[in-house]
Amino acid sequence: MTESEKWAIWTLGVVALTLIAWFALTAWSGNGLVSNAAFSLLALTAIPRNSRRHFIKGARFDEREQAIANRALLAGFRGVWLALTAVWLAAGLTKGWSGTLVLPVWVLTSSLLWAVVLLLTVESVTTLALYRR
Amino acid sequence: MPNPKTEIRNSIRRLRFDHGEMTQDELGKRAGVTRHTIMALESAKYFPSLLLAFRIARAFGVGVDQVFEYVETNGRANFERR
Repeated sequence: MTESEKWAIWTLGVVALTLIAWFALTAWSGNGLVSNAAFSLLALTAIPRNSRRHFIKGARFDEREQAIANRALLAGFRGVWLALTAVWLAAGLTKGWSGTLVLPVWVLTSSLLWAVVLLLTVESVTTLALYRR
Repeated sequence: MPNPKTEIRNSIRRLRFDHGEMTQDELGKRAGVTRHTIMALESAKYFPSLLLAFRIARAFGVGVDQVFEYVETNGRANFERR
């Protein structure tokens, strides 16, 4: 198993742990602001030694691994973009395009962290899929 | 007129055999890639860059055209086999 696959499996585990913690905190506190604390678990994705692999050029990644990493990252950003578009469309269609949304600030933070979760999930799944193709 | 479909075939497995059953790991080290990439190349799941193609050819001490072959899908190579 390559370092990238190990990273992907580890990252999926961290995402699963984060989701479990988020739902547990939501059920326990009933407060979305408190639930945001679960996202701190995402820092665990930095533990694998190749976690910064997209920013390091050198012998660690050969050209195929780099190509897979790039495609996986692109797939992740595509997933986030699609999700954002879906949210914007849903908001526009339900509240009206001239409507107004009043949200607490923590919702914005939470949205960004959910986007990170989505990006990491899609990137990891794509990485595993590309190595098994 | 439709373009003919083409593919790139390689003789890495045979060349490894000809070079004393060189392991994928050893070839990978000589070419600067991982064993997994050599496996992907041999099973035609990945096509190398020109740079890697030259590195692999150099690892075997042969020319690139003796390792890689440009083939049309009707099975006819665009040049004579050596």
